[in-house]
Amino acid sequence: MSFDWYPLWNSLRIAAISCVLVFFLGIFFAYYAARLPRAVKGMLDVILTLPMVLPPTVCGYFLLLIFGMKRPLGIFLLKFGIKFVMTWYGGVLAASVVAFPLMYRTARGAFESFDQTLAYSGQTLGLSNTYIFWRIRMPACRQGILAGTVLAFARALGEYGATSMLIGYTPGRTATISTTVYQLWRTNDEKGAMFWVLINLAISTVVLLTVNMLEARQKKAVKA
Amino acid sequence: MKKALSLLLALTMLFALAVPSAFAADAEKTELIVFAAASMTETLNQIKELYEAENPDVTLVYNFDSSGTLKTQIQEGADCDVFISAAPKQMNQLDASKDKEANPDGLDFVLQGSRINLLENKVVLAVPEGNPKGIESFDQLAELLAAGDVFLAMGNSDVPVGQYTQKILAFYGLDEEELAKAGSVTYGTNVKEVTTQVSEASVDCGVVYATDAFSAGLDSVDAATAEMCGQVIYPAAVLNVSANPEAAQAFLDYLTGPEATEVFEAVGFSAMTKEAEAETEPAPEVSPEATPAA
Repeated sequence: MSFDWYPLWNSLRIAAISCVLVFFLGIFFAYYAARLPRAVKGMLDVILTLPMVLPPTVCGYFLLLIFGMKRPLGIFLLKFGIKFVMTWYGGVLAASVVAFPLMYRTARGAFESFDQTLAYSGQTLGLSNTYIFWRIRMPACRQGILAGTVLAFARALGEYGATSMLIGYTPGRTATISTTVYQLWRTNDEKGAMFWVLINLAISTVVLLTVNMLEARQKKAVKA
Repeated sequence: MKKALSLLLALTMLFALAVPSAFAADAEKTELIVFAAASMTETLNQIKELYEAENPDVTLVYNFDSSGTLKTQIQEGADCDVFISAAPKQMNQLDASKDKEANPDGLDFVLQGSRINLLENKVVLAVPEGNPKGIESFDQLAELLAAGDVFLAMGNSDVPVGQYTQKILAFYGLDEEELAKAGSVTYGTNVKEVTTQVSEASVDCGVVYATDAFSAGLDSVDAATAEMCGQVIYPAAVLNVSANPEAAQAFLDYLTGPEATEVFEAVGFSAMTKEAEAETEPAPEVSPEATPAA
Protein backbone atom coordinates (compact mmCIF):
# COMPACT_ATOMS: atom_id res chain seq x y z
CA MET A 1 0.00 0.00 0.00
CA SER A 2 1.55 3.29 -1.07
CA PHE A 3 1.64 5.80 1.73
CA ASP A 4 -1.26 8.19 1.79
CA TRP A 5 0.14 11.73 1.58
CA TYR A 6 -3.25 13.27 1.08
CA PRO A 7 -3.54 14.82 4.57
CA LEU A 8 -0.34 16.82 3.96
CA TRP A 9 -1.46 18.14 0.61
CA ASN A 10 -4.97 18.82 1.90
CA SER A 11 -3.84 20.63 5.06
CA LEU A 12 -1.41 22.84 3.15
CA ARG A 13 -3.99 23.59 0.51
CA ILE A 14 -6.65 24.49 3.07
CA ALA A 15 -4.23 26.59 5.12
CA ALA A 16 -2.89 28.46 2.10
CA ILE A 17 -6.30 29.29 0.62
CA SER A 18 -7.71 30.26 4.01
CA CYS A 19 -4.68 32.44 4.65
CA VAL A 20 -5.15 34.33 1.39
CA LEU A 21 -8.88 34.74 1.96
CA VAL A 22 -8.43 35.88 5.51
CA PHE A 23 -5.60 38.22 4.54
CA PHE A 24 -7.82 40.27 2.28
CA LEU A 25 -10.93 40.01 4.42
CA GLY A 26 -8.97 40.86 7.54
CA ILE A 27 -7.35 44.01 6.24
CA PHE A 28 -10.59 45.03 4.54
CA PHE A 29 -12.53 44.89 7.78
CA ALA A 30 -9.67 46.31 9.83
CA TYR A 31 -9.43 49.33 7.56
CA TYR A 32 -13.14 50.06 7.24
CA ALA A 33 -14.18 49.16 10.76
CA ALA A 34 -12.14 52.10 12.02
CA ARG A 35 -14.37 54.46 10.06
CA LEU A 36 -17.68 53.30 11.46
CA PRO A 37 -19.66 55.15 14.14
CA ARG A 38 -18.77 54.13 17.67
CA ALA A 39 -21.81 52.00 18.43
CA VAL A 40 -21.69 49.99 15.22
CA LYS A 41 -17.95 49.60 15.48
CA GLY A 42 -18.22 48.06 18.93
CA MET A 43 -20.88 45.56 17.91
CA LEU A 44 -19.10 44.63 14.69
CA ASP A 45 -15.87 44.20 16.54
CA VAL A 46 -17.45 41.73 18.93
CA ILE A 47 -19.00 39.70 16.12
CA LEU A 48 -15.81 39.62 14.09
CA THR A 49 -13.68 38.57 17.05
CA LEU A 50 -16.15 35.96 18.31
CA PRO A 51 -14.71 32.94 16.43
CA MET A 52 -11.42 33.49 18.20
CA VAL A 53 -13.00 33.37 21.62
CA LEU A 54 -15.53 30.61 21.02
CA PRO A 55 -14.35 27.02 21.31
CA PRO A 56 -13.71 25.61 17.84
CA THR A 57 -16.42 23.00 18.35
CA VAL A 58 -18.93 25.76 19.01
CA CYS A 59 -17.83 27.44 15.78
CA GLY A 60 -18.18 24.11 13.99
CA TYR A 61 -21.66 23.66 15.41
CA PHE A 62 -22.71 27.09 14.18
CA LEU A 63 -21.30 26.38 10.74
CA LEU A 64 -23.31 23.17 10.65
CA LEU A 65 -26.41 25.06 11.69
CA ILE A 66 -25.93 27.42 8.78
CA PHE A 67 -24.52 25.21 6.05
CA GLY A 68 -25.82 21.77 7.07
CA MET A 69 -27.55 19.72 4.39
CA LYS A 70 -30.89 20.04 6.10
CA ARG A 71 -30.68 23.79 6.52
CA PRO A 72 -32.15 26.29 4.04
CA LEU A 73 -28.79 27.73 3.04
CA GLY A 74 -27.22 24.31 2.69
CA ILE A 75 -30.04 23.08 0.48
CA PHE A 76 -29.92 26.27 -1.59
CA LEU A 77 -26.18 26.05 -2.19
CA LEU A 78 -26.47 22.41 -3.15
CA LYS A 79 -28.50 23.49 -6.16
CA PHE A 80 -25.32 25.12 -7.44
CA GLY A 81 -23.33 22.04 -6.58
CA ILE A 82 -21.75 23.73 -3.57
CA LYS A 83 -21.63 21.62 -0.44
CA PHE A 84 -19.59 22.79 2.52
CA VAL A 85 -20.31 19.67 4.56
CA MET A 86 -17.95 16.73 3.96
CA THR A 87 -15.87 18.49 1.31
CA TRP A 88 -12.33 19.83 1.38
CA TYR A 89 -13.40 23.37 0.68
CA GLY A 90 -15.69 23.11 3.70
CA GLY A 91 -12.40 22.86 5.52
CA VAL A 92 -11.38 26.19 3.97
CA LEU A 93 -14.59 27.72 5.33
CA ALA A 94 -13.99 26.35 8.82
CA ALA A 95 -10.32 27.37 8.89
CA SER A 96 -11.10 30.84 7.52
CA VAL A 97 -13.77 31.46 10.14
CA VAL A 98 -11.46 30.63 13.03
CA ALA A 99 -8.38 32.31 11.56
CA PHE A 100 -10.14 35.52 10.54
CA PRO A 101 -10.19 37.21 13.97
CA LEU A 102 -6.44 36.74 14.29
CA MET A 103 -5.76 38.60 11.04
CA TYR A 104 -8.45 41.17 11.75
CA ARG A 105 -7.25 42.08 15.23
CA THR A 106 -3.59 42.18 14.32
CA ALA A 107 -4.25 44.26 11.23
CA ARG A 108 -6.44 46.63 13.17
CA GLY A 109 -3.74 47.04 15.78
CA ALA A 110 -1.21 47.72 13.06
CA PHE A 111 -3.46 50.23 11.31
CA GLU A 112 -4.30 52.03 14.51
CA SER A 113 -0.64 52.57 15.31
CA PHE A 114 -0.04 53.85 11.80
CA ASP A 115 1.20 57.41 11.66
CA GLN A 116 -1.67 59.22 9.95
CA THR A 117 0.54 62.12 8.93
CA LEU A 118 2.09 59.84 6.33
CA ALA A 119 -1.35 59.36 4.78
CA TYR A 120 -2.04 63.08 4.95
CA SER A 121 1.25 63.82 3.25
CA GLY A 122 0.28 61.46 0.50
CA GLN A 123 -3.03 63.20 0.09
CA THR A 124 -1.41 66.61 -0.13
CA LEU A 125 0.74 65.14 -2.89
CA GLY A 126 -2.45 64.22 -4.72
CA LEU A 127 -2.12 60.46 -4.42
CA SER A 128 -5.21 58.28 -4.67
CA ASN A 129 -6.58 56.52 -1.63
CA THR A 130 -5.85 53.16 -3.14
CA TYR A 131 -2.25 54.15 -3.71
CA ILE A 132 -1.97 55.47 -0.19
CA PHE A 133 -3.38 52.26 1.20
CA TRP A 134 -1.27 49.78 -0.72
CA ARG A 135 1.96 51.76 -1.10
CA ILE A 136 2.10 53.78 2.10
CA ARG A 137 -0.10 52.31 4.79
CA MET A 138 0.52 48.64 4.11
CA PRO A 139 4.31 48.84 3.92
CA ALA A 140 4.36 50.96 7.08
CA CYS A 141 2.27 48.34 8.87
CA ARG A 142 4.20 45.51 7.32
CA GLN A 143 5.32 43.89 10.54
CA GLY A 144 1.88 43.76 12.07
CA ILE A 145 0.35 42.51 8.85
CA LEU A 146 3.00 39.84 8.48
CA ALA A 147 2.50 38.74 12.07
CA GLY A 148 -1.23 38.53 11.50
CA THR A 149 -0.76 36.51 8.32
CA VAL A 150 1.55 34.04 10.01
CA LEU A 151 -0.85 33.61 12.90
CA ALA A 152 -3.72 33.09 10.49
CA PHE A 153 -1.77 30.50 8.49
CA ALA A 154 -0.72 28.66 11.62
CA ARG A 155 -4.27 28.67 12.97
CA ALA A 156 -5.67 27.45 9.69
CA LEU A 157 -3.08 24.67 9.49
CA GLY A 158 -3.78 23.53 13.02
CA GLU A 159 -7.55 23.80 12.88
CA TYR A 160 -9.23 20.70 14.24
CA GLY A 161 -12.55 21.14 16.08
CA ALA A 162 -14.60 23.07 13.57
CA THR A 163 -13.01 21.19 10.67
CA SER A 164 -13.80 17.79 12.18
CA MET A 165 -17.42 18.71 12.78
CA LEU A 166 -18.02 20.24 9.38
CA ILE A 167 -16.10 17.95 7.07
CA GLY A 168 -15.58 14.82 9.14
CA TYR A 169 -12.83 12.38 8.22
CA THR A 170 -12.96 10.93 4.73
CA PRO A 171 -9.62 9.50 3.70
CA GLY A 172 -8.54 10.89 0.36
CA ARG A 173 -11.19 13.58 0.39
CA THR A 174 -11.37 15.60 3.59
CA ALA A 175 -8.59 14.25 5.80
CA THR A 176 -6.29 16.93 7.23
CA ILE A 177 -3.19 16.38 9.32
CA SER A 178 -5.03 17.19 12.53
CA THR A 179 -8.01 14.93 11.88
CA THR A 180 -5.70 12.19 10.66
CA VAL A 181 -3.60 12.32 13.83
CA TYR A 182 -6.77 12.02 15.90
CA GLN A 183 -8.09 9.09 13.88
CA LEU A 184 -4.78 7.25 13.95
CA TRP A 185 -4.52 7.75 17.69
CA ARG A 186 -8.08 6.51 18.21
CA THR A 187 -7.40 3.41 16.15
CA ASN A 188 -4.18 2.75 18.08
CA ASP A 189 -1.83 3.48 15.19
CA GLU A 190 0.79 5.16 17.37
CA LYS A 191 3.48 5.10 14.66
CA GLY A 192 1.19 6.68 12.13
CA ALA A 193 0.06 9.38 14.53
CA MET A 194 3.64 10.19 15.53
CA PHE A 195 4.66 10.43 11.89
CA TRP A 196 2.09 13.11 11.16
CA VAL A 197 2.91 14.94 14.38
CA LEU A 198 6.52 15.19 13.24
CA ILE A 199 5.49 16.38 9.78
CA ASN A 200 3.39 19.10 11.34
CA LEU A 201 6.28 20.09 13.62
CA ALA A 202 8.54 20.31 10.59
CA ILE A 203 6.15 22.55 8.67
CA SER A 204 5.57 24.82 11.65
CA THR A 205 9.31 25.12 12.29
CA VAL A 206 10.00 26.03 8.67
CA VAL A 207 7.25 28.66 8.69
CA LEU A 208 8.45 30.24 11.92
CA LEU A 209 12.10 30.23 10.84
CA THR A 210 11.15 31.90 7.57
CA VAL A 211 9.19 34.57 9.38
CA ASN A 212 12.05 35.24 11.77
CA MET A 213 14.42 35.50 8.85
CA LEU A 214 12.14 38.00 7.11
CA GLU A 215 11.83 40.07 10.26
CA ALA A 216 15.58 40.07 10.83
CA ARG A 217 16.16 41.16 7.26
CA GLN A 218 13.67 43.94 7.65
CA LYS A 219 15.26 45.16 10.87
CA LYS A 220 18.61 45.23 9.09
CA ALA A 221 17.13 47.30 6.28
CA VAL A 222 15.66 49.77 8.74
CA LYS A 223 18.97 50.14 10.55
CA ALA A 224 20.89 50.74 7.34
CA MET B 1 -11.80 52.94 45.14
CA LYS B 2 -8.97 50.71 43.99
CA LYS B 3 -8.52 49.31 47.47
CA ALA B 4 -12.21 48.56 47.77
CA LEU B 5 -12.18 46.81 44.39
CA SER B 6 -9.16 44.66 45.21
CA LEU B 7 -10.70 43.72 48.54
CA LEU B 8 -13.90 42.73 46.78
CA LEU B 9 -11.94 40.67 44.26
CA ALA B 10 -10.05 38.89 47.01
CA LEU B 11 -13.26 38.10 48.86
CA THR B 12 -14.87 36.80 45.67
CA MET B 13 -11.97 34.45 45.03
CA LEU B 14 -12.08 33.21 48.62
CA PHE B 15 -15.76 32.60 48.24
CA ALA B 16 -15.15 30.71 45.02
CA LEU B 17 -12.79 28.45 46.94
CA ALA B 18 -15.27 27.86 49.71
CA VAL B 19 -18.23 26.95 47.56
CA PRO B 20 -16.94 23.66 46.10
CA SER B 21 -16.19 22.31 49.57
CA ALA B 22 -19.77 23.07 50.51
CA PHE B 23 -20.83 20.75 47.74
CA ALA B 24 -18.25 18.15 48.67
CA ALA B 25 -19.91 17.88 52.05
CA ASP B 26 -22.52 15.94 50.11
CA ALA B 27 -19.90 13.21 49.76
CA GLU B 28 -21.91 10.92 52.01
CA LYS B 29 -23.25 9.64 48.71
CA THR B 30 -21.53 6.85 46.89
CA GLU B 31 -20.45 7.87 43.44
CA LEU B 32 -20.54 5.12 40.85
CA ILE B 33 -18.62 5.76 37.67
CA VAL B 34 -19.99 3.86 34.70
CA PHE B 35 -18.16 3.68 31.40
CA ALA B 36 -20.66 2.62 28.76
CA ALA B 37 -20.81 2.36 25.00
CA ALA B 38 -22.18 5.49 23.35
CA SER B 39 -25.17 3.56 22.02
CA MET B 40 -26.46 3.26 25.56
CA THR B 41 -26.66 7.00 26.19
CA GLU B 42 -30.42 7.46 26.12
CA THR B 43 -31.34 4.26 27.94
CA LEU B 44 -28.79 4.58 30.71
CA ASN B 45 -29.76 8.20 31.30
CA GLN B 46 -33.33 7.07 31.81
CA ILE B 47 -32.21 4.27 34.08
CA LYS B 48 -30.11 6.71 36.09
CA GLU B 49 -33.24 8.58 37.11
CA LEU B 50 -35.00 5.38 38.12
CA TYR B 51 -32.02 4.00 39.99
CA GLU B 52 -31.15 7.19 41.84
CA ALA B 53 -34.77 7.55 42.91
CA GLU B 54 -34.70 4.06 44.41
CA ASN B 55 -31.19 4.45 45.82
CA PRO B 56 -30.81 8.03 47.04
CA ASP B 57 -27.37 7.37 48.50
CA VAL B 58 -25.92 6.57 45.07
CA THR B 59 -24.96 9.03 42.34
CA LEU B 60 -24.29 7.65 38.88
CA VAL B 61 -21.65 9.34 36.79
CA TYR B 62 -21.52 8.30 33.15
CA ASN B 63 -18.80 8.37 30.54
CA PHE B 64 -20.24 7.56 27.11
CA ASP B 65 -17.90 6.96 24.21
CA SER B 66 -16.80 4.29 21.80
CA SER B 67 -15.94 1.08 23.65
CA GLY B 68 -12.43 1.16 22.22
CA THR B 69 -11.79 4.59 23.69
CA LEU B 70 -13.26 3.56 27.04
CA LYS B 71 -11.09 0.46 27.15
CA THR B 72 -8.02 2.62 26.52
CA GLN B 73 -9.05 5.02 29.25
CA ILE B 74 -9.51 2.16 31.72
CA GLN B 75 -6.17 0.75 30.66
CA GLU B 76 -4.55 4.13 31.29
CA GLY B 77 -5.90 4.18 34.83
CA ALA B 78 -9.18 6.05 34.68
CA ASP B 79 -11.43 5.67 37.71
CA CYS B 80 -14.24 3.36 36.80
CA ASP B 81 -16.60 1.02 38.61
CA VAL B 82 -18.67 -0.56 35.84
CA PHE B 83 -17.81 -1.09 32.18
CA ILE B 84 -20.38 -1.92 29.52
CA SER B 85 -18.94 -2.55 26.09
CA ALA B 86 -20.73 -2.75 22.72
CA ALA B 87 -18.82 -5.86 21.76
CA PRO B 88 -17.09 -8.73 23.57
CA LYS B 89 -13.78 -7.69 22.00
CA GLN B 90 -13.12 -4.70 24.25
CA MET B 91 -14.24 -6.52 27.39
CA ASN B 92 -12.03 -9.48 26.48
CA GLN B 93 -9.05 -7.17 26.19
CA LEU B 94 -9.48 -6.31 29.86
CA ASP B 95 -10.38 -9.80 31.06
CA ALA B 96 -7.50 -11.77 32.58
CA SER B 97 -9.38 -15.03 32.12
CA LYS B 98 -9.14 -14.71 28.35
CA ASP B 99 -6.28 -16.12 26.33
CA LYS B 100 -3.49 -14.16 24.71
CA GLU B 101 -5.36 -13.79 21.45
CA ALA B 102 -8.34 -12.07 22.99
CA ASN B 103 -6.30 -10.22 25.61
CA PRO B 104 -2.95 -9.44 23.93
CA ASP B 105 -1.73 -7.04 26.60
CA GLY B 106 -2.60 -9.41 29.41
CA LEU B 107 -4.69 -6.81 31.20
CA ASP B 108 -6.59 -7.61 34.35
CA PHE B 109 -9.36 -5.17 35.04
CA VAL B 110 -12.48 -7.29 35.06
CA LEU B 111 -13.66 -8.47 38.46
CA GLN B 112 -13.93 -12.20 37.90
CA GLY B 113 -17.41 -13.54 38.38
CA SER B 114 -19.12 -10.25 37.69
CA ARG B 115 -19.07 -10.39 33.90
CA ILE B 116 -22.38 -10.99 32.17
CA ASN B 117 -23.78 -10.60 28.68
CA LEU B 118 -26.22 -7.82 29.25
CA LEU B 119 -27.87 -6.93 25.98
CA GLU B 120 -28.13 -7.79 22.35
CA ASN B 121 -28.42 -5.20 19.62
CA LYS B 122 -28.81 -5.21 15.89
CA VAL B 123 -26.68 -3.47 13.30
CA VAL B 124 -28.79 -1.56 10.79
CA LEU B 125 -28.39 0.57 7.72
CA ALA B 126 -29.79 4.01 8.49
CA VAL B 127 -30.66 6.69 5.97
CA PRO B 128 -31.43 10.40 6.30
CA GLU B 129 -34.98 11.67 6.22
CA GLY B 130 -36.50 11.10 2.82
CA ASN B 131 -33.80 8.60 1.83
CA PRO B 132 -32.45 10.84 -0.97
CA LYS B 133 -30.28 8.13 -2.45
CA GLY B 134 -33.05 5.55 -2.35
CA ILE B 135 -31.04 2.88 -0.58
CA GLU B 136 -33.15 -0.10 0.37
CA SER B 137 -30.84 -2.83 1.58
CA PHE B 138 -27.33 -3.90 2.48
CA ASP B 139 -27.19 -5.83 -0.81
CA GLN B 140 -27.92 -2.65 -2.73
CA LEU B 141 -25.41 -0.74 -0.61
CA ALA B 142 -22.74 -3.26 -1.54
CA GLU B 143 -23.47 -2.76 -5.23
CA LEU B 144 -23.38 1.02 -4.89
CA LEU B 145 -20.12 0.87 -2.95
CA ALA B 146 -18.51 -1.31 -5.59
CA ALA B 147 -19.60 1.22 -8.21
CA GLY B 148 -18.34 4.12 -6.12
CA ASP B 149 -21.78 5.64 -6.21
CA VAL B 150 -22.57 6.19 -2.57
CA PHE B 151 -21.18 7.98 0.49
CA LEU B 152 -21.27 5.83 3.62
CA ALA B 153 -20.55 6.81 7.21
CA MET B 154 -19.16 4.12 9.47
CA GLY B 155 -17.35 3.86 12.78
CA ASN B 156 -13.57 3.63 12.61
CA SER B 157 -11.74 0.41 13.41
CA ASP B 158 -11.60 1.18 17.12
CA VAL B 159 -15.37 1.43 17.41
CA PRO B 160 -17.44 -1.78 17.79
CA VAL B 161 -20.04 -0.68 15.25
CA GLY B 162 -17.16 0.08 12.89
CA GLN B 163 -15.81 -3.40 13.47
CA TYR B 164 -19.22 -4.91 12.72
CA THR B 165 -19.35 -2.80 9.56
CA GLN B 166 -15.96 -4.12 8.51
CA LYS B 167 -17.32 -7.64 8.87
CA ILE B 168 -20.31 -6.73 6.70
CA LEU B 169 -18.04 -5.25 4.04
CA ALA B 170 -15.91 -8.38 4.11
CA PHE B 171 -19.07 -10.48 3.84
CA TYR B 172 -19.79 -8.76 0.53
CA GLY B 173 -16.21 -9.13 -0.59
CA LEU B 174 -15.53 -5.40 -0.57
CA ASP B 175 -12.05 -4.04 0.17
CA GLU B 176 -12.36 -1.35 2.80
CA GLU B 177 -9.07 0.29 1.86
CA GLU B 178 -10.13 0.58 -1.77
CA LEU B 179 -13.39 2.15 -0.70
CA ALA B 180 -11.55 4.57 1.55
CA LYS B 181 -9.17 5.51 -1.28
CA ALA B 182 -12.14 6.14 -3.52
CA GLY B 183 -13.59 8.47 -0.93
CA SER B 184 -16.75 6.40 -0.51
CA VAL B 185 -16.54 6.04 3.25
CA THR B 186 -16.13 8.54 6.02
CA TYR B 187 -15.20 7.55 9.55
CA GLY B 188 -16.81 8.60 12.81
CA THR B 189 -15.07 8.19 16.15
CA ASN B 190 -18.10 6.71 17.83
CA VAL B 191 -21.57 5.54 16.87
CA LYS B 192 -23.21 8.81 17.89
CA GLU B 193 -21.02 10.74 15.48
CA VAL B 194 -22.06 8.42 12.66
CA THR B 195 -25.71 8.77 13.69
CA THR B 196 -25.44 12.54 13.67
CA GLN B 197 -23.86 12.56 10.24
CA VAL B 198 -26.81 10.55 8.94
CA SER B 199 -29.37 12.77 10.71
CA GLU B 200 -27.72 15.87 9.30
CA ALA B 201 -27.85 14.29 5.83
CA SER B 202 -24.12 14.88 5.51
CA VAL B 203 -23.84 11.36 4.10
CA ASP B 204 -26.08 9.10 2.00
CA CYS B 205 -26.33 6.41 4.68
CA GLY B 206 -24.64 5.06 7.78
CA VAL B 207 -24.22 1.79 9.64
CA VAL B 208 -25.35 2.17 13.24
CA TYR B 209 -27.20 0.15 15.84
CA ALA B 210 -30.98 -0.29 15.70
CA THR B 211 -31.20 1.47 19.05
CA ASP B 212 -29.33 4.54 17.80
CA ALA B 213 -31.49 4.74 14.70
CA PHE B 214 -34.57 4.50 16.90
CA SER B 215 -33.41 7.11 19.38
CA ALA B 216 -32.45 9.54 16.63
CA GLY B 217 -35.66 8.94 14.71
CA LEU B 218 -33.84 7.63 11.67
CA ASP B 219 -35.22 5.24 9.09
CA SER B 220 -33.39 1.94 9.15
CA VAL B 221 -33.88 0.24 5.82
CA ASP B 222 -32.16 -3.05 6.55
CA ALA B 223 -30.77 -5.05 9.46
CA ALA B 224 -27.60 -7.14 9.33
CA THR B 225 -27.98 -10.84 10.01
CA ALA B 226 -25.78 -12.79 12.37
CA GLU B 227 -24.20 -14.34 9.29
CA MET B 228 -23.03 -10.94 8.10
CA CYS B 229 -21.52 -9.54 11.26
CA GLY B 230 -22.10 -11.96 14.08
CA GLN B 231 -24.24 -11.42 17.13
CA VAL B 232 -24.03 -7.98 18.64
CA ILE B 233 -23.53 -8.70 22.30
CA TYR B 234 -22.99 -6.11 25.01
CA PRO B 235 -21.03 -7.55 27.93
CA ALA B 236 -21.01 -5.74 31.26
CA ALA B 237 -18.75 -6.16 34.26
CA VAL B 238 -17.61 -4.64 37.52
CA LEU B 239 -13.95 -3.63 37.41
CA ASN B 240 -11.50 -4.83 40.02
CA VAL B 241 -10.20 -1.27 40.38
CA SER B 242 -13.61 -0.14 41.54
CA ALA B 243 -13.74 1.80 44.79
CA ASN B 244 -17.25 0.50 45.49
CA PRO B 245 -17.50 -3.06 44.20
CA GLU B 246 -20.67 -3.92 46.17
CA ALA B 247 -22.51 -0.84 45.00
CA ALA B 248 -21.25 -1.50 41.48
CA GLN B 249 -22.51 -5.08 41.58
CA ALA B 250 -25.85 -3.88 42.91
CA PHE B 251 -26.16 -1.54 39.93
CA LEU B 252 -25.21 -4.30 37.54
CA ASP B 253 -27.88 -6.54 39.07
CA TYR B 254 -30.39 -3.73 38.65
CA LEU B 255 -29.55 -3.55 34.95
CA THR B 256 -30.71 -7.13 34.52
CA GLY B 257 -33.90 -6.46 36.45
CA PRO B 258 -37.40 -5.78 35.07
CA GLU B 259 -37.42 -1.97 35.21
CA ALA B 260 -34.09 -1.61 33.39
CA THR B 261 -35.03 -4.29 30.87
CA GLU B 262 -38.19 -2.40 30.05
CA VAL B 263 -36.18 0.74 29.28
CA PHE B 264 -33.71 -1.18 27.14
CA GLU B 265 -36.32 -3.07 25.16
CA ALA B 266 -38.26 0.13 24.48
CA VAL B 267 -35.50 1.36 22.15
CA GLY B 268 -34.75 -1.97 20.53
CA PHE B 269 -32.23 -3.77 22.74
CA SER B 270 -32.90 -7.42 23.61
CA ALA B 271 -32.07 -8.36 27.17
CA MET B 272 -29.96 -11.47 27.39
CA THR B 273 -30.77 -13.87 30.18
CA LYS B 274 -28.21 -13.74 32.95
CA GLU B 275 -26.28 -16.95 32.39
CA ALA B 276 -22.88 -17.71 33.78
CA GLU B 277 -20.87 -15.66 31.23
CA ALA B 278 -22.04 -17.28 28.02
CA GLU B 279 -19.30 -16.89 25.47
CA THR B 280 -21.13 -16.45 22.22
CA GLU B 281 -18.91 -17.11 19.25
CA PRO B 282 -19.36 -14.35 16.69
CA ALA B 283 -19.60 -15.31 13.04
CA PRO B 284 -16.26 -16.76 11.88
CA GLU B 285 -13.79 -13.94 11.32
CA VAL B 286 -13.99 -13.51 7.56
CA SER B 287 -11.12 -11.09 7.33
CA PRO B 288 -8.46 -9.78 9.67
CA GLU B 289 -8.78 -6.24 10.96
CA ALA B 290 -8.26 -3.87 8.07
CA THR B 291 -7.15 -0.53 9.44
CA PRO B 292 -8.50 2.25 7.22
CA ALA B 293 -6.01 3.96 4.90
CA ALA B 294 -4.22 6.59 6.94
